[in-house]
Amino acid sequence: MKDYNGVVLTTPISMGYARQSPHGAAWFVGSVLREMISAAGLTKKDINGFSVSSFSLGIDSAVALTQHFGLCVRWLEQANVGGVSGILALRRAARAVQCGDADIVACIGGDGAAHRSFEHTAAHFSNWSTDAAFPYGAAGPNGPFSLITAHYMERYQAQREDFARICLDQRYNANHFPGALLGHKKLSLSDYLNARPIAGPLHLFDCVMPCAGGEGFLVMSEERARQLKLPAVKILAADECHNAHADDPVQDRGGWTQYIEGLYNRAAVGPEDVDFLQTYDDYPVISMLQMEDLGFCGKGEAPEFVGQTDMRFDGSGPGLNKLPHNTSGGQLSCGQAGAAAGFLGVTESLRQLTGQSQQNQVSNARLGLVSGYGMVNYDRGICTAAAMLQGVDR
Amino acid sequence: MNIKDKMRKRLKLSRPSLRARARPPKHRSVCGSQFSAANLPGILQLQNCTDCGHVQYPPAELCGACLGSTLIYKETACTGTLLAQSQLHHSLWEYFKRRIKRAPWPIASVQLDVGPVAIVHLTELDLDTGDRVKVFSHSDASRSVVLIAVPAATDITTPELRQAVIVGIQLDKSAERLKGV
Repeated sequence: MKDYNGVVLTTPISMGYARQSPHGAAWFVGSVLREMISAAGLTKKDINGFSVSSFSLGIDSAVALTQHFGLCVRWLEQANVGGVSGILALRRAARAVQCGDADIVACIGGDGAAHRSFEHTAAHFSNWSTDAAFPYGAAGPNGPFSLITAHYMERYQAQREDFARICLDQRYNANHFPGALLGHKKLSLSDYLNARPIAGPLHLFDCVMPCAGGEGFLVMSEERARQLKLPAVKILAADECHNAHADDPVQDRGGWTQYIEGLYNRAAVGPEDVDFLQTYDDYPVISMLQMEDLGFCGKGEAPEFVGQTDMRFDGSGPGLNKLPHNTSGGQLSCGQAGAAAGFLGVTESLRQLTGQSQQNQVSNARLGLVSGYGMVNYDRGICTAAAMLQGVDR
Repeated sequence: MNIKDKMRKRLKLSRPSLRARARPPKHRSVCGSQFSAANLPGILQLQNCTDCGHVQYPPAELCGACLGSTLIYKETACTGTLLAQSQLHHSLWEYFKRRIKRAPWPIASVQLDVGPVAIVHLTELDLDTGDRVKVFSHSDASRSVVLIAVPAATDITTPELRQAVIVGIQLDKSAERLKGV
């Protein structure tokens, strides 16, 4: 696979997070765009590539938004793949810039959260979900993930206390990230264990809160970013694989296994070299699958791994092994803003690697691994993607 | 009462939570409706590919193995193995919300001996992973077909026996609300 030399990611924007919002997806996508060009010192005319991810655009598509926002672009992309939207957008945009199809690409994910809209999204998520998953208790994603979690706990002797390690450390990170919707609340082990049950082994703090919000970043040439004096991040390697291990009866691994070795080889680093890890944490068990499949521990060893690992951004926890993980609190503490949740790990990585994080800055963050997972078409998430990112020396 | 207030009242009363009767989700895709129609008779009918013999579920327009388009519904062996189970304490749909108020709703995933994995309603709570089950199809209170798993020893050979299982978990009845609209 060709490298991503000469291309950088800049100008991470996360905005508008709210539990409920009267605004539609276009408002969030457009607002991110406005903030982004203002932060980068650009005008709309400078943006000639546009990549949009959203679940709630309805009958509008990415091209409709170009007319709404008065954008004239030569490169357009709509990647509605939930939890991998951000990484897919950056991979495609980076190639477009590298090949000269576009100069500056705005990659944006955004979704609204109107009253009862989550119910509608869950009921009509996909044909297979509508026909063969939703009628069974109408639990939305909680249904399939309760089965995946129950299976993982039984097969690998995981306990709720192991999942708590992820949720508690992420909440600590969120307590230091003003943008997190649940960041003002502390979470203790007894809060976690005594939370009300939701589905099988899943209790309240294992589940993300659906919300509204927008996330985005710009992709451009390294040279252009230098001219604009924008702090930037390089893509050392990135990959994706969808619908892998389709014959596993219950999901306990994802497509990361198909490419992670090559990804580390191309980036010339290993899991021990990264300064932080951002996983897609729609449920803590899914973060565990990523830690295993991305090579931080062996299959089934994640419960032990998280027990020994301090996942706080500042390394203030008791664990001897330090790995800052989901340093903004992840979706479990920020909320899940539809397709923007697939951008959350990327924008947070960009802030960390360019030193733009505020209270939750990981010290000397140079190298970060961000991973995506998504789209429960029926009984499991079928998309995976990962990217190794490195800050550019300023 | 002016029109605005009337509309507001109508909107309020059309909330699912205020309705007298709530039923399971009825909406299905075209393939899902065909699955419902094919499963009215018999124990379990799944799509069989006449080109390669692949048996598939959930229903789709093409064979997932050979992409052939000649899929027909055939009576299929209903035996399988329990993969995972969970009890739902929360639902997005009014029918299940009302049922869950009385008791958590059990679901499971089952690997059918013919291949596919099915998410099912579960009737029995003291089953373990790996236990043998039978899966049959039946219409629910919305007249859509759903799959139900019972322990392998259960006799489900006649429509009356299968009906009795459905009645036992009250899947044939809407969930009522006193003084609902």
